Amino acid sequence: MYFETIAKVIAERMDIDVESIKPESTFADLKIDSLDTVDMVMNLEDILGIEIDLDQPVTTVGDLDRFIQNKVAAK
Amino acid sequence: MIKSELCSLLGIKYPVFQGGMAWIADGKLAAAVSNGGGLGIIAAGNAPGEYVRSQVKIARELTDKPIGVNIMLLSPFIEEVAKVVVEEKVEVVTTGAGNPSKFIGAWNEAGIKVIPVVASVAMAKLMTRLGAAAVIAEGGESGGHVGELTTMVLVPQVCDATDLPVIAAGGIADGRGVAAAFMLGACGVQLGTRFLSAYECGVHPNYKKKILKANDLCTMVTGKKLGHPVRQLRTAFAKKYWDAEYGGMPDEELEALGTGVLRLAAVEGDEERGCFLSGQIAALVKKEQPAAEIIKELMEEAEPLLLGASKWVE
Repeated sequence: MYFETIAKVIAERMDIDVESIKPESTFADLKIDSLDTVDMVMNLEDILGIEIDLDQPVTTVGDLDRFIQNKVAAK
Repeated sequence: MIKSELCSLLGIKYPVFQGGMAWIADGKLAAAVSNGGGLGIIAAGNAPGEYVRSQVKIARELTDKPIGVNIMLLSPFIEEVAKVVVEEKVEVVTTGAGNPSKFIGAWNEAGIKVIPVVASVAMAKLMTRLGAAAVIAEGGESGGHVGELTTMVLVPQVCDATDLPVIAAGGIADGRGVAAAFMLGACGVQLGTRFLSAYECGVHPNYKKKILKANDLCTMVTGKKLGHPVRQLRTAFAKKYWDAEYGGMPDEELEALGTGVLRLAAVEGDEERGCFLSGQIAALVKKEQPAAEIIKELMEEAEPLLLGASKWVE
């Protein structure tokens, strides 16, 4: 549900083609480290207007998408 | 006398922290720093909760001033250490190598002042939101695990990003560094490398000798390939590690190569196989002296610089 927004944020930040990002893409493969993740999540919070509070590790872009969906559903 | 909101926030005399260096910053050093008017910090490193408890008890016998514990968030013993600091009523917890969001709530409830080390603007914002009491903006000049940004670049941006008190760390070893940190917007400083030369610092004499002999180009950063860059003195081990890292050694082997090597340096003084962590500023660490004297010197050097800064303006 949030995959496209996440992919766009990643593509912009890492200066890569948004088409190359898939739900199975791992953050490691995308060269996104833990500091980048914090920055990216805060960015997403501004765009989506929700507090995400990422309190567990996520390996793939799909994981992050599902995490945000669960957060929103829990509210 | 240097005035800082950090002092009233934490109940310390001078806005000087001694960094929680793994295998090096124990209860005895922390107590000496706290007795000297700064904030002494015990390093939890990768040690179990009972080690941390015993070091806190040692510090408590030597000082009644506030002390801190630096919690390394990647430690396998993180859960028990997180409880010990609450049980032992440690006044301050600093955190490194990760995101302390899981624990901040409990620590705040216990009345602990949580001061995370941040290496980016986003981290500073996140820690502010989670209820940190202050943040330590540590630039890559520091020893040990280092971020991308330098202190010069990181501190002002973190100061812009948060209203919390900001403590600058990385590359500070004398009054000039202290004064500069305040100019960048910080209201306190954290030093690691400089405190290696404290009498009360129990690090191996070989380690101290290397620090005292160091010159400006004395350090190098390895471990970038594994995602955890580390700044250390250019020693036999450092060069060996560098060759392995860039010579295509597989990641697991590289991890294994770096295991236990800080202990070899700090505890055994092993000059062949040890990893001697150090900040870039080691060359300014020139003599052994009591921790209290280090703090006194830092303040006595910084004060005239801060007072005299008006000479630059007509």
